[in-house]
Amino acid sequence: MSENVELRRAHIIANHILRSPPPSSNPSLTPEVCFQYSPPELNESYGFEVKEMRKLLDGHNLEERDWLYGLMMQSNLFNPKQRGGQIFVSPDYNQTMEQQRQISMKRILYLLEKGVFQGWLTETGPEAELKKFALYEVCGIYDYSLSAKLGVHFLLWGNAVKFFGTKRHHEKWLKYTEDYVVNGCFAMTELGHGTNVRGIETVTTYDPTTEEFVINTPCESAQKYWIGEAANHANHAIVISQLSMNGTNQGIHVFIAQIRDHDGNTCPNVRIADCGHKIGLNGVDNGRIWFDNLRIPRENLLNSVADVLADGKYVSSIKDPDQRFGAFLAPLTSGRVTIASSAIYSAKLGLAVAIRYSLSRRAFSVAANGPEVLLLDYPSHQRRLLPLLAKTYAMSFAVNDLKMIYVKRTPETNKAIHVVSSGFKAVLTWHNMRTLQECREAVGGQGLKTENRVGHLKGEYDVQTTFEGDNNVLMQLVSKALFAEYVSCKKRNKPFKGLGLEHMNSPRPVLPTQLTSSTLRCSQFQKSVFCLRERDLLERFTSEVAELQGRGESREFLFLLNHQLSEDLSKAFTEKAILQTVLDAEAKLPPGSVKDVLGLVRSMYALISLEEDPSLLRYGHLSRDNVGDVRKEVSKLCGELRPHALALVASFGIPDAFLSPIAFNWVEANAWSSL
Amino acid sequence: MASQSQVLVEVKSSVRILTLNRPKQLNALCFNMISRLLQLFLAYEKDPSVKLVILKGQGRAFCAGGDVPPVVNNIVQGKWRLGADFFRDQYTLNYVMATYSKPQVSILNGIVMGAGAGVSIHGRFRIATENTVFAMPETALGLFPDVGASYFLSRLPGYFGEYVGLTGARLDGAEMLACGLATHFVLSSSLDALEADLCKVGTSDPSFVSTILDAYTHHPYLKQKSAYYRLDVIDRCFSRRTVEEIISALEREATQEPDDWILTTIRALKKSSPSSLKISLRSIREGRLQGVGQCLIREYRMVCHVMKGDLSKDLVEGCRAILIDKDRNPKWKPKRLEDMKDNMVDQYFERVEEEERWEDLKLSPRNNLRASKIAAKL
Repeated sequence: MSENVELRRAHIIANHILRSPPPSSNPSLTPEVCFQYSPPELNESYGFEVKEMRKLLDGHNLEERDWLYGLMMQSNLFNPKQRGGQIFVSPDYNQTMEQQRQISMKRILYLLEKGVFQGWLTETGPEAELKKFALYEVCGIYDYSLSAKLGVHFLLWGNAVKFFGTKRHHEKWLKYTEDYVVNGCFAMTELGHGTNVRGIETVTTYDPTTEEFVINTPCESAQKYWIGEAANHANHAIVISQLSMNGTNQGIHVFIAQIRDHDGNTCPNVRIADCGHKIGLNGVDNGRIWFDNLRIPRENLLNSVADVLADGKYVSSIKDPDQRFGAFLAPLTSGRVTIASSAIYSAKLGLAVAIRYSLSRRAFSVAANGPEVLLLDYPSHQRRLLPLLAKTYAMSFAVNDLKMIYVKRTPETNKAIHVVSSGFKAVLTWHNMRTLQECREAVGGQGLKTENRVGHLKGEYDVQTTFEGDNNVLMQLVSKALFAEYVSCKKRNKPFKGLGLEHMNSPRPVLPTQLTSSTLRCSQFQKSVFCLRERDLLERFTSEVAELQGRGESREFLFLLNHQLSEDLSKAFTEKAILQTVLDAEAKLPPGSVKDVLGLVRSMYALISLEEDPSLLRYGHLSRDNVGDVRKEVSKLCGELRPHALALVASFGIPDAFLSPIAFNWVEANAWSSL
Repeated sequence: MASQSQVLVEVKSSVRILTLNRPKQLNALCFNMISRLLQLFLAYEKDPSVKLVILKGQGRAFCAGGDVPPVVNNIVQGKWRLGADFFRDQYTLNYVMATYSKPQVSILNGIVMGAGAGVSIHGRFRIATENTVFAMPETALGLFPDVGASYFLSRLPGYFGEYVGLTGARLDGAEMLACGLATHFVLSSSLDALEADLCKVGTSDPSFVSTILDAYTHHPYLKQKSAYYRLDVIDRCFSRRTVEEIISALEREATQEPDDWILTTIRALKKSSPSSLKISLRSIREGRLQGVGQCLIREYRMVCHVMKGDLSKDLVEGCRAILIDKDRNPKWKPKRLEDMKDNMVDQYFERVEEEERWEDLKLSPRNNLRASKIAAKL
């Protein structure tokens, strides 16, 4: 028997060296050497209705999503390729940066012609916004450059006009924007100031004699940087600048400036340069802009919050410059919402590919001469992928919930949206990066090929961790907001309301000392641990800060000093908020297989979060025995989720053509005859 | 037995020639024929001596569709479940053909409609001739393009599939070849010689069959007024998200440049059942993203809802107007497109609840999961 194996190995090695087929004189060897692709569907059955699960995950506008997937598949602009008997659509990333930028623009114009962007700015209300989110998400599944370019034009430029502007701006720009008569960009970030928007150095003054604003880039660090669409395609820009009126700085204001004429030539008094090749998103033309006494009409100040009258009088409905600044940044939350949701779709893509591959690829035998084992039948492989799958599910519900709060926003919910979107954006984009790395490793060398997507996506999505707010800064923002909420409630002696802190009004939960399997899977227990952790960290954080504040230190300084507690707290807050959204979704479901599987997924999410967080052990909420039990339960849950793996990724609703060759018949896709 | 004479079998060495033999009914597929075909195809797959299956029709049709009147009778008598059995077997046959491990050559020398397309297009080779007339006329009958049409129509170039599926437009052999519904075009005068040559094939390797077919291939010209030349207009209009938008896009085109073809197309859409149009469009759109098995399972749900008639009885009405009374004046309900709401469309895609022992179409796993390449030239 073992001789047989050795002989086979010898043949394989000889084959490598000689590049000749193994001798056919021994026919019994041939079938063992040849690996036959067997589609995972042949051996795996669906234990629940995949369509129902997809409805929960996508949440809304399934028909519109499918329509857009179809639009992309039916056009050669989307680079369809036949591999292993199937069509795949994915950009050709081997094109030069310039080619990638041009084709991104062509794709946008094709989708424009098909009516995809109809109503993206001119229609209002939750339904229109959800439809826009859905279509935007689908664009990102095809290519993040495509959605980033759309994001710049519609969500940054378009929303800035919509939210900062008034009627005169809306009438002039929104329809033109929707029809791409104007192509907008959003010039906020500078070389010297990114997430710290307040510090930007671009200066605008007012000239009452001509009734014009004059924009200037006073120094190199004030050059606008990373401005998407600025390098090639944009002809108009939102310019975020300090407004200096008669020597008084009125803080950040928002202006519209034309930067190119209709022939695409750069306008006088504007200089534009390219940001160059990037580690990803090369389909987006990021550029740099300098302004040299650029004059724009007075009407180009977006004046919903503050205005300058013809005679140069400055008027504002908000007196406090700090509050004014807050009002300016409000529209950026929509960017965070879409970033968080596209991060989750990227993680879904990675997992769908890696899990499908792990259900058809085998490696090593457990017993000598036994059949090779399917990757996903290794407990270690399950442990690598299935907890990430469960987290992706949980975060899917979280981001759906966030979208719902966002589209139904009121002035009262703005603060909660700001805090929750900050936490979700950071945690979900980090999760995506981690998931993609694990998926890339889990598919082995195949992950290196661009066509297989999982590895390549890392470069494409990496930017999400820092744009529209650096993740670490956003997380600090969360704990600062919680601190403020805590202090204000205690000071006024009022119960907690909002941000999910209501549990702080009840007595501190007591956890059982012995954790059985059924306790660990009980949603009430899971919620208690998450609440306890949040409560404890919030109390610790506030008391640390308060104590030192009493000794005369500034609050800002103390936040910096206590960054470790701050990180733990914001993570605890965000993870609890995510868990709550899964519990809410689960509670709405009728009894049945979908609910049962979702229960397993939720338990996995809760327990893996506990397993990965040392703060529970550090602060003594769980004992060493407890964490051991949690760990064992995670392993058990892996085994229980394994039979559902295929159905769980099928429920993502991402069409086959948007996955990659290794997700399907990768033997045929790589066959000599397919060359 | 009737089914024996309705499907003729010729054994020519390793080739089996099956002939649909109900020429008076234009070879409309009845329950017996479907069962017989299914039985034969499954047996040939297991039989190593069979390498190739040829399917053709007796008389001037290959197959003009499914035998619908008995199904409508069942529905009228409140026995739609009998109709469901008919469609279940038919779709199972379509699935077996789509995933068949041996090449199937269908000789489409005449009318190919509805169910006729279902027993041919899924196979590896489809031979069109100068006599071929192809159509999926279901929306005019109160049904929708089924038999896996949501799979193969959605894979045609651009939005040609939506056009063919929604309007019931007729295609000739040259058009079928151009869009990929046919893989070869052979003059009918060469068919006997071709058949004789095919019978010499001693292997199931499709490249051998291909070589033989290539030798007989004729390159037809598309007629000047072919809809295939209007692919740009079709793409512009039929890519729209809803049926209403498709019609208004066509009307816009018509005001800019009125011509017979656009007017005929608009007229066809306006004559068809509104509920049929809406579920057909959704079906093709979903089909584009699904495998052939998933398509057939979904279509089975849809056809059961159509027969059950809770939302619309257009199938019975369409058959009355077109096949029975032949007044060609069906009274559709809902009458207008806007009365067919999204949530009503949704229901056609759900399982048939509150129906005893109703089950989704069950397709057994097959090794050759990859359906044959529709429009492979693209």
